[in-house]
Amino acid sequence: MKVTVLAGATTKFGELWDFSPRVLAQQVTAQVLKESGLAKNKIEAVFVGNMLSSSLGNQDHLGAFFSEELGMNVPAVKIEAACASGGMAVHLAALSVISGQYKKVLVLGIEKMTDYKPEMVNSALMGASSDAERETGATFAALYALIARAHMEKYRTTEKEMAQVAVKNHYHASLNSHAQYTVPLTLEAVLKSSVVASPLKIFDCSPISDGAAALILSSEKNTGSDIYIAASAPSTDTLGISQRDDLTSLKSAKIASRLAFSQAGVGPADIDVAEVHDCFTIAEIIAMEDIGFFEKGAAARAIYEKKTWLNIGRPVVNTSGGLKAAGHPVGATGVKQVVEIYKQLKGIAGKKQVKSSRIGLTHNVGGTGATCVIHILKKN
Amino acid sequence: MLSPVKIWRNQNKIKSILNKKGEIISYTRIHVPPAGFESQAPYVVAVAQLDDGKRIIAQLVDFNESDLMIGRKIITVLRRTKDPGLEGIIPYGIKFKPVT
Repeated sequence: MKVTVLAGATTKFGELWDFSPRVLAQQVTAQVLKESGLAKNKIEAVFVGNMLSSSLGNQDHLGAFFSEELGMNVPAVKIEAACASGGMAVHLAALSVISGQYKKVLVLGIEKMTDYKPEMVNSALMGASSDAERETGATFAALYALIARAHMEKYRTTEKEMAQVAVKNHYHASLNSHAQYTVPLTLEAVLKSSVVASPLKIFDCSPISDGAAALILSSEKNTGSDIYIAASAPSTDTLGISQRDDLTSLKSAKIASRLAFSQAGVGPADIDVAEVHDCFTIAEIIAMEDIGFFEKGAAARAIYEKKTWLNIGRPVVNTSGGLKAAGHPVGATGVKQVVEIYKQLKGIAGKKQVKSSRIGLTHNVGGTGATCVIHILKKN
Repeated sequence: MLSPVKIWRNQNKIKSILNKKGEIISYTRIHVPPAGFESQAPYVVAVAQLDDGKRIIAQLVDFNESDLMIGRKIITVLRRTKDPGLEGIIPYGIKFKPVT
């Protein structure tokens, strides 16, 4: 696979009450058109990654909504895979240019969540899980808490080790002007924060956020960009966690990772920099094991020992600040992850630059792992 | 949305998992509830493995703090799950109760 990335950009993520989805889309699209030097009429299709426009904003038909807003009379469609909507939008956009049907396409990941009460947002997010899970009054924090407790029971993972994931990602985010939270967190602050769903505390959880991210993809040669997508691999698993073979691992992530490494012709040891789906601190620990960066049960200690920190370890994980500190506007996250890796490989990641990075990976998860999309990017 | 037809369809699934014994394989106490569950918070949700090998997720009810442990034996019981919607049909479902 060789899908060139011509441009990538994000808006600031956070509580953006002044900006409607239309404004966010305009902001980020203007950035990628400027970076690529392309005129708007060169975009042949728009792939929109979004989850909650319908349940929160009453807006279906999102492809047409944004193609009208952006003034692009082209094929446009919303792609939804819960929190992996962004990653799936990238995947389908990549397939569309590989097919030869389109030459240059826009991927737009976008979410507006902070206009609504948290209880409503938490309820809407549960659309990503099963009926049985919704019936119990579970939230995503609760479902990942169940996973965390199982991981703690099986591998002696501690709350302190989970807290260190948040500390790392807040440190990285302090170097990212687009992150929702740019203030570093201490281990003590995480451990003292109120319990949301035991054992997960508020600082173990990614926030509710607004934001947008965009990419322009092409399969043409001689585009002037040396950054390309070498693998784009989704997989699925059961909707509900109780039907899983193993509560301490996401099978969809294991399968998608293996597929992606095979497509790109590389292995975990070749990855310089990665963005993984830390919707909750335990999710990053499990991601590192599922992708194959660390042995099962070893990731928590490795992260605690700074093996994935900027300027210290390798692979460097979540230089953007991850979901935890950069924010998690659901449909935008999967696209933002690819944008971050694109910037790292291109050498334009600013203060959070990982030197000499040539191969990067993104890991985007829907729900508690019912979908996982892995992308691998390379520098020519 | 809560629909009387959906509630009626789901009743059929309940019979086959009612009054079954099993054990807790994970649990959590929820302090921050989603919309519709505010009056119940805090409450406990658990995943249990039933003796027949099936795994299900449900709230844990009628328990003491000492019952909150992985491996605790439970039995599935019938309980009201949500307040009725505008049509007034009460949804029932499975919850877990520790066995003595």
